[in-house]
Amino acid sequence: MVGEELELFIHSQGAKPKVAMTRPHETLREVLVRSEILKEGQDDLLVFVGEWEEALTEGDEIEEGEDRHEAVDVSLTVEVLELHRHPHIHVHKCKLVAVEVNFNGRTKQHRFSPATTIGVVTRWARKKFELDGAAGAAYVLQICKTTKQPRPSEHLGELVKSSVCAICFDLVKEITPQG
Amino acid sequence: MDKPDQRLFDADVASAEFRAGALKGYWGLAGTDVLAEQPAWPARILWIAAAPREKAPDRYYVRLDLSEYRTDAPTGTFWNPNTTATLEFGLRPKGRPGSRVAMVFRTDWENGRAFYHPYDRVAAKGHSDWLRDQPSLIWDSDHTIVHHLEEIHSLLNSGDYLGL
Repeated sequence: MVGEELELFIHSQGAKPKVAMTRPHETLREVLVRSEILKEGQDDLLVFVGEWEEALTEGDEIEEGEDRHEAVDVSLTVEVLELHRHPHIHVHKCKLVAVEVNFNGRTKQHRFSPATTIGVVTRWARKKFELDGAAGAAYVLQICKTTKQPRPSEHLGELVKSSVCAICFDLVKEITPQG
Repeated sequence: MDKPDQRLFDADVASAEFRAGALKGYWGLAGTDVLAEQPAWPARILWIAAAPREKAPDRYYVRLDLSEYRTDAPTGTFWNPNTTATLEFGLRPKGRPGSRVAMVFRTDWENGRAFYHPYDRVAAKGHSDWLRDQPSLIWDSDHTIVHHLEEIHSLLNSGDYLGL
């Protein structure tokens, strides 16, 4: 990656992701300020890199588990942070998002990194409720008390409102088109 | 000058959601390896990656009619880059009988010219009951081509997808 341009995807709370072009020598702060995600000198937001999948390796016996995704130092360069390998950047107020999933009268909980996709949360939930395999694939997450089923590529951090670091889902069966 | 629906589509193809999926190898606009240039608007040819299955391709092409995008949902079906025509039924992806994959990709309805899914405007117009049964999948102007691609990609990578 000698000086070549790189594409980053910047995710922030309650907003659609943005594309930002950068080069290896640029600091992450410079990228975020240029993209109007951070203001000069702003340090009240956490910045995570990558898409986090730690929950998928959690033991079945663990209840109320928690991810360990550390925020990065935005004064480091794109090259040092190896963003060519981790092009998804998440800027968030929450270090963790408390997720509750309801299914069949039971509830499972985990505190996820905001950099976790809905696809990963869904796979975690299917595993926790022992819905693995082809039969489990028919189950998707729906935000509690709504009919909204987020796309698998959406990130938890984009879905939670700025005032709360928590979200509730029901695990529901996708309907097969009929008629 | 491009039409408003075309400008909106082009902007969505440049969006982070579309680009991120393309970078992961999930989907993309068909390139010059299969056609000299994209057909005239409102048609576009895209590809979508599929899970490995014996004797099945690793991607399928679709030809979508995107008239009045995003107000109206796309419509279309699988496309064959070798014949530059609609994909023959025998070469279309199959699903486990009774599964969503099998239903969405069915060929015994409308001569297989559209996806049997609420994100396809031909299918949606004929099924007002879907509005009640599948409210999360009702197309509106907040939906983009990424919703459509992600749905087809999800089916082609499901355990119910059997190959050809």
